[in-house]
Amino acid sequence: MKDIIAALEAKRAAARAGGGEKRHAAQHAKGKLTARERIDLLMDEGSFEELDMFVEHRSAEFGMEKTKIPGDGVVTGWGTINGRLVYVFSKDFTVFGGSLSLAHAAKIVKVQDMALKNGAPIVGIFDAGGARIQEGVDSLAGYADIFMRNILGSGVVPQISVIMGPCAGGDVYSPAMTDFIFMVKDTSYMYVTGPEVVRTVTNEIVTHEELGGARVHAAKSGVVDGAFENDFEALTQMRRLIDFLPGSNRDKPPTRPHYDDINREEPSLDRLIPDNPNKPYDMKELIEKVVDEGDFFEIGAEFGRNIITAFARLDGAPVGVVANQPMVLAGVLDIDASRKAARFVRFCDAFNIPIVTFVDVPGFLPGTRQELGGLIKHGAKLLFAYGEATVPKVTVITRKAYGGAYDVMSSKHLRGDVNYAWPSAEIAVMGAKGAVEIIFRADIGDPEKIAARTKEYSDRFANPFVAASRGYIDDVIMPRETRRRIIRALSTLKNKQLENPWKKHDNIPL
Amino acid sequence: MFDKILIANRGEVAVRIIRTARRLGIKTAIVYSEADRDSLAVDMADEGVFIGPAPAAQSYLVIDKIVAAAKETGAQAIHPGFGFLSERAEFADRLLAENIVFIGPNPHAIRAMGDKIESKKAAAAAGVSCVPGFIGEIEGVEHAIQISEEIGFPVMIKASAGGGGKGIRVAYNKKEVQEGFPAVRAEAKGAFGDDRIFIEKFVTAPRHIEIQVMGDKHGNVVHLFERECSIQRRNQKVIEEAPSPLLDEKTRAAMGEQACALARAVQYDSAGTVEFVASGADKSFYFLEMNTRLQVEHPVSEMITGLDLVEQMIRVAAGEKLAFKQKDLKIKGWAIESRIYAEDPYRNFLPSIGRLRTYRAPAEGKTGDIVLRNETGVREGDEISMFYDPMIAKLITHAPTRIAAIDAQARALDQFLIEGIQDNIPFLGAVMEEKDFRKGDFTTAYIKDKFPQGFDGVPPTKTQEKLLIACAAVARSFTAHRATQTSGRLNGPAVGAQRDWVVIVGGVHHATHVDLDDSGADVFIEGKKHRLDTLTRPGARIVEGAFEGAPFSVKIKSAPEGYTLRHRGVTLRAAVATPRGAELLKKIPEKAKADTSKLIVSPMPGLVISVDVKPGQEVKEGEGVAVVEAMKMQNIIRAERDGVIAKVHVAAGASVAADEVLIELG
Repeated sequence: MKDIIAALEAKRAAARAGGGEKRHAAQHAKGKLTARERIDLLMDEGSFEELDMFVEHRSAEFGMEKTKIPGDGVVTGWGTINGRLVYVFSKDFTVFGGSLSLAHAAKIVKVQDMALKNGAPIVGIFDAGGARIQEGVDSLAGYADIFMRNILGSGVVPQISVIMGPCAGGDVYSPAMTDFIFMVKDTSYMYVTGPEVVRTVTNEIVTHEELGGARVHAAKSGVVDGAFENDFEALTQMRRLIDFLPGSNRDKPPTRPHYDDINREEPSLDRLIPDNPNKPYDMKELIEKVVDEGDFFEIGAEFGRNIITAFARLDGAPVGVVANQPMVLAGVLDIDASRKAARFVRFCDAFNIPIVTFVDVPGFLPGTRQELGGLIKHGAKLLFAYGEATVPKVTVITRKAYGGAYDVMSSKHLRGDVNYAWPSAEIAVMGAKGAVEIIFRADIGDPEKIAARTKEYSDRFANPFVAASRGYIDDVIMPRETRRRIIRALSTLKNKQLENPWKKHDNIPL
Repeated sequence: MFDKILIANRGEVAVRIIRTARRLGIKTAIVYSEADRDSLAVDMADEGVFIGPAPAAQSYLVIDKIVAAAKETGAQAIHPGFGFLSERAEFADRLLAENIVFIGPNPHAIRAMGDKIESKKAAAAAGVSCVPGFIGEIEGVEHAIQISEEIGFPVMIKASAGGGGKGIRVAYNKKEVQEGFPAVRAEAKGAFGDDRIFIEKFVTAPRHIEIQVMGDKHGNVVHLFERECSIQRRNQKVIEEAPSPLLDEKTRAAMGEQACALARAVQYDSAGTVEFVASGADKSFYFLEMNTRLQVEHPVSEMITGLDLVEQMIRVAAGEKLAFKQKDLKIKGWAIESRIYAEDPYRNFLPSIGRLRTYRAPAEGKTGDIVLRNETGVREGDEISMFYDPMIAKLITHAPTRIAAIDAQARALDQFLIEGIQDNIPFLGAVMEEKDFRKGDFTTAYIKDKFPQGFDGVPPTKTQEKLLIACAAVARSFTAHRATQTSGRLNGPAVGAQRDWVVIVGGVHHATHVDLDDSGADVFIEGKKHRLDTLTRPGARIVEGAFEGAPFSVKIKSAPEGYTLRHRGVTLRAAVATPRGAELLKKIPEKAKADTSKLIVSPMPGLVISVDVKPGQEVKEGEGVAVVEAMKMQNIIRAERDGVIAKVHVAAGASVAADEVLIELG
């Protein structure tokens, strides 16, 4: 028996050695950790159980039969994050460059299936060179098997991808279908075709960083939801994110004790809205002062910054916060903001996370760039997402809620459950100036008349009371009591029941 | 006594006056500009009168508007506070004519002291010691030596038309006058075409010490001892104290008597201040000027005398006699005042205005023998406006001894939390810990001498480092402990929380072990046990408690890798990791710092007004390359070295964040 145990230990040690010391050193020299080291950072200490450690590829092409490394370029298994079950797969760049063989794919598929069946989030860590070319079409089959699980798992269990090295070609599509993608600055890149191909095909000269670096994807393409300085920060923050998410769509999001007062008043919020309606203010101050312990986790912080999407907690329970940001483009809705928020709202709805919306929106952004970019359909995504969402929806209008954008931003008419307005709210078809120039077109030449009409219009509509008189607003609340009022509203919605008509699936304007 | 007074001022001094008036049962009315409509002072006053746009020249400085406001509200008297109209004789004249009482000195006194030359003459006539010097034709070197010997060395030889450091020599002996006088004369002739020279006493180790005086309309004048205001930056007082660590009883009495003599000479009948420059070397002192108003730093005098100067001003204005004599006044304890400004100490004290997203001041009142006072005109959520002085608050501590007052001040600064704009609290905290300041050994050049390269934070002491490490470890342990109470855990709450944490500061790993209990934690740092008592919970921005029995407050903020901690003048970024995490962190090489010397960044968030260079253009160090507007102030962004513009990242109209790259040099 002793020998058998020793043999097992030897086999395990061989598997853990991965690509060997030299390759590990090379990985470290690049500022990257190894596949197993990353899992150590992600999971609670000692909680990780590896699966399929001894799996090897079965390819006999191009001499591959001579090089077999147990594990075959990916480490898979399960562990806990703050005690809660999480599945993980982590590509091992030191073994065959992390390339994907059929056996490698089968390992990933196995944990995907387990996550789906057992209702737990799955985190994929990417650092790989793409398909194992020697395996040819088997490798493509392997990819598709993974894609299929991504698709079936979407909306069932949270799927998170962390790009911590190269991720190109076929490798990009699995992350693309997961709920969130994060990247590490300077050590990771992600693109369908790399700079060499780009140069051959289009003569365009571009670096890895410019084509698919973390900064580019976090700020410009919006493909990724956040970029971190290094592996340590990225994985530490993934732990923080997982803490907000339920295991699956069958669960409620996790709750935990908090050390904040649910009745906390914030008198300074009474002075958040500047006297000048065109002066911006920082919506993040409102979020920070409303949520538990001032703590929130932003999704897509660098992209479409005119809208904020973030996870936070109220009375210990997670909520998704969507808020127009007057500091950026006056908080207008454009293509980027609509796409970003729509996807976030749908995630929250899929995973039973109540949505709190703070509204200060002057409308949709005009211009050819927006219209030719398909603003109609992108804006409709957000409208659709809010309308179809059946989770508790609480909305607070702080200032502007103009035109169609008012409807979009979780209005009563889109089945908003509790809709509040601050006294500074202006709920109208458009700003007073614009409205007067249409209604009183004849008077445009007369600035005095226009000024009088503008004042008249503004007195009539630049307030929350017309909307409140129709019941479109449930109450006008003092800014200082926003936290208490939202928490109370959410508490009444704990057992909310609302179902959409049966359908195979909807047809959101993609 | 008055029934109602009008306050012709704003901000903290207005609040200060309202507090006293309320206590005396006097109603208050206040004037306010557009920018102050929702201010604390206006909220606190019984009545407010709107007087126009934000710029002071169109509101607080318009005498007609102030007078009209007094009439409208029926106020019998006006307190001008400081600044604005407080030292305008014509304002005092006008009030006299309108039959409204000016809570301040009579116009004659204001006039007499308002002119620099006249006031010096009056001072000399009243027997006040003025800087000895000779103004007149100096015949030659021999005459210069004779004058210098009469004045006493060291002397300053100065060109009448001099300026900008040119045409000035300090001579410590006869020989230096012999050499210096012709040199200065030649320099003066060459540089200014005017070779008139004057010689005056050079005050070595100069310190700014001023005497608070108080007079009434019945000829009584007393002094309330001195204040020392030597800690200044660009002639702006930053830290003041009373009494002065320099003075002995004899000097104090001499200065006080001279100040009273001057006050008597001009029939001074309110609160005023006689400023002196004193030599740290020999305690000699010389008259500078007299301020005929309440001073910003008056609270330190109040703290050591127990008097309320605003109350005294109101009483004497109403015609009452001073209720005390000089012999009744005694110095009790020591008071320190810090001026908390909206400025960024790490960026050469650049003004930082905007909304006070967080404003939490330490609690005022008496704890043991320490008294804490905070004079402010703002609340959380208020705006520090570009139109007025960027002072946020004055924090005053009073204790039996100077060191106790300094320590109390340092602790109070640790409890003062301001976010949304930058503040100079870390700088003030650093001064409170600096050994020469603590010894009372400084001059008016203190800040320049101690921080010649500007302020960049100070390194922690060993004890402070331990404290900050312990705070980070406990904060992290507490969140780990709380996580064990999350719902949906695999094995239930039985799974224990992590108790070993490595705190990494500046690349150095500190192994800790934390045993939490009901009143805090035992924290083992590298195996050595420390006791940290605290009831602070997650979400609090200040960790408070006792470390090894000594009370502390540390500002804490979550960062992606751990925490940012602030204490006194120290700012520490601490990564916190499990032992395994720390081991792995060691394997990640520090990223090479990007070479930023070629980058021209925006020092503040703002709007790009113009970009004045194009790629390929050569620029010289100090040349303006772009203009960024922040809070309506246009800031010229300059090249910090010579170079060729490689890339322009922004265009006019772009809004930029602080540190955003505007232009790259090749």
